[in-house]
Amino acid sequence: MDYAVRQGRSAIRPPLMKRLADASAPYLYSAPALILIVTVMLVPLVLGVSYAFRDVQLLNPFSGGFIGLDHFRALARDEAFFRSLRNTLWWTGASVFLQFTFGLILALLLDKPFRGRALAQALVFLPWAVPSFLAGLNWAWLFNPVVGPLPHWLHALGLMSQPANILSDPGLAMWGPIVANIWWGIPFFAITLLAALQAIPRDLYEAASIDGAGAFQRFLSITLPFLAPTIAITILLRTVWISNFADLIIVMTGGGPADRTQIVASYIFTQAFKRLDFGYASAIALVLLALLLAYSLLIVILRQWLLSKD
Amino acid sequence: MASIDIANIQKSYGIHPVLHDVDLKIRDGEFVVLVGPSGCGKSTLLRMIAGLESVTAGEIRIAGKRVNELAPKDRDIAMVFQSYALYPHMSVARNMSYSLRLRKTAKDRITTIVAGAAAKLGLEPLMERRPRALSGGQRQRVAMGRAIVRQPKAFLFDEPLSNLDARLREQMRAEIKKLHRDLRATSIYVTHDQIEAMTLADRIVAMNGGVVQQVGSPLDLYDRPANLFVAGFIGSPGMNFFEGTCRAGERPMFHIAGDIAIPLDASPPLANDAKATLGIRPEHIVLAGHGPETLLATVDLVEPTGFGIILHLSLGRSGFKAFTNDRSFLTASGTIPVHFPAHSLHFFDSEGSRV
Repeated sequence: MDYAVRQGRSAIRPPLMKRLADASAPYLYSAPALILIVTVMLVPLVLGVSYAFRDVQLLNPFSGGFIGLDHFRALARDEAFFRSLRNTLWWTGASVFLQFTFGLILALLLDKPFRGRALAQALVFLPWAVPSFLAGLNWAWLFNPVVGPLPHWLHALGLMSQPANILSDPGLAMWGPIVANIWWGIPFFAITLLAALQAIPRDLYEAASIDGAGAFQRFLSITLPFLAPTIAITILLRTVWISNFADLIIVMTGGGPADRTQIVASYIFTQAFKRLDFGYASAIALVLLALLLAYSLLIVILRQWLLSKD
Repeated sequence: MASIDIANIQKSYGIHPVLHDVDLKIRDGEFVVLVGPSGCGKSTLLRMIAGLESVTAGEIRIAGKRVNELAPKDRDIAMVFQSYALYPHMSVARNMSYSLRLRKTAKDRITTIVAGAAAKLGLEPLMERRPRALSGGQRQRVAMGRAIVRQPKAFLFDEPLSNLDARLREQMRAEIKKLHRDLRATSIYVTHDQIEAMTLADRIVAMNGGVVQQVGSPLDLYDRPANLFVAGFIGSPGMNFFEGTCRAGERPMFHIAGDIAIPLDASPPLANDAKATLGIRPEHIVLAGHGPETLLATVDLVEPTGFGIILHLSLGRSGFKAFTNDRSFLTASGTIPVHFPAHSLHFFDSEGSRV
């Protein structure tokens, strides 16, 4: 019986070419898409990473050679880089925290029914539609005492001794791009959190109020747990996004005064397009990539831990 | 436990009135069912008692204390929602203990109370599960457990069984009744299902169009419906109505369309020739007899339900239904004799009120 079956199988065994074609068919079908994805995604990444280990300077035609870890050794001694790292933390932390706080407050306000709510929701979305360069220019002018009203208002309120440009004050300059970034980023949090808020069933609030919960307890025990996944994912996204987001800084301060507003992303831009040292810029970018990957991994692990806890 | 007094309550949304002058006194420990078709204002009334809707005019008192302006959390009532409204991110145990935790009850006391409620409802094996891992009936039980742990002044039920299938509904109905027998808690129960109303209630409040139609014991409403609405709403299959006029005489008769006269024992208190409606329940029609009281009805349709048979009959142009347990009518056709016993007849005047 066994023998007969084996014999039958070998009798219908197809020729080698046919078997090869059958085995490779799935790969051949998916090859065009795979090749496209690899060329579009992986090749630039690998090339960019390779610059970090090569001496690439646009103005030096003899550059391009492999130099190993020289860039990273230089980076380890680069004071400007460490300052920009600290600035990045400050810039990202303050921007994300304040964007989130104001966005949440705005979402909670827009969740309550009132006359003209649809119009208000549309208006809230507006800053998001402004190109970041325009937003940067606009805020730079607002902070400029020659054309903008903000320094005069701050002076009138007694917050400033004279109507000066905070963008040129080394101690305060970082607040300029941060304020512009908050204005520009609130809609993102407001809209996503509002969508999450509106998905919370109303009868849960009714049940909680009958169970004896006041407004604040309802917020803690119903609103927050329902918003938690959205909050986690939006903050993760925005953190990565904002720490990479140099547009406003480039437009408003160019990293100055005296590198006080230089974040890693703007430092990369400066190295690549002002000093034209692409190799060194790539090395910094690689470090930033590693830091952001580590951060994302941390959040993912934290999320898994929180999920498994209850 | 407490009594609930509802005095001349009115509710309107903008200029649209939805409740007109509702007046109701609910005694301590009583089970009152608000019943009526969709949009009759029964849920609105319940939500006003809970404090989830504002009161336009009138007064609500719980245990003698005016609560119109009190927030739901200060009224000390518990509510079971149609959607159950369980907190999806909390386990069954935490769902049930939420109100106690808010009141800062001691931990060991919470454990005892929740365990007691869980035992009463058979929820012990499910205490660590999340609501989404429960079936509809189990969720319903958790919602009830959440209500009973607090020993509130009153229980409010907002169509709690509508989302369950028929078999489960029957079972939960009995459990609610048992629970009320054990706890003797003042309960207000809203439903559109007249069977739930009949089986559960100490007293039924039948509502229609924002107006209370009749308040009474279930059998009161069944035996002596106050008007056409209650007569038609309570009972299944519903009461048969014949419009016509009453003529006094040696033998009083009720004349309906098609020149058909239904003989009566005595003249009802209706003016001669006044338009009126005669009602009789399908189960009270006698499908036999001979003599002057007997009419011949045409059989249009036979509906066997297993328990009995619903016969669709007609007298002239007026169709009506009769209910019988006699299986010989399964094959009924042509015409059969029918008799309307005098003590089972209901009369309603042209306004629709009982006479």
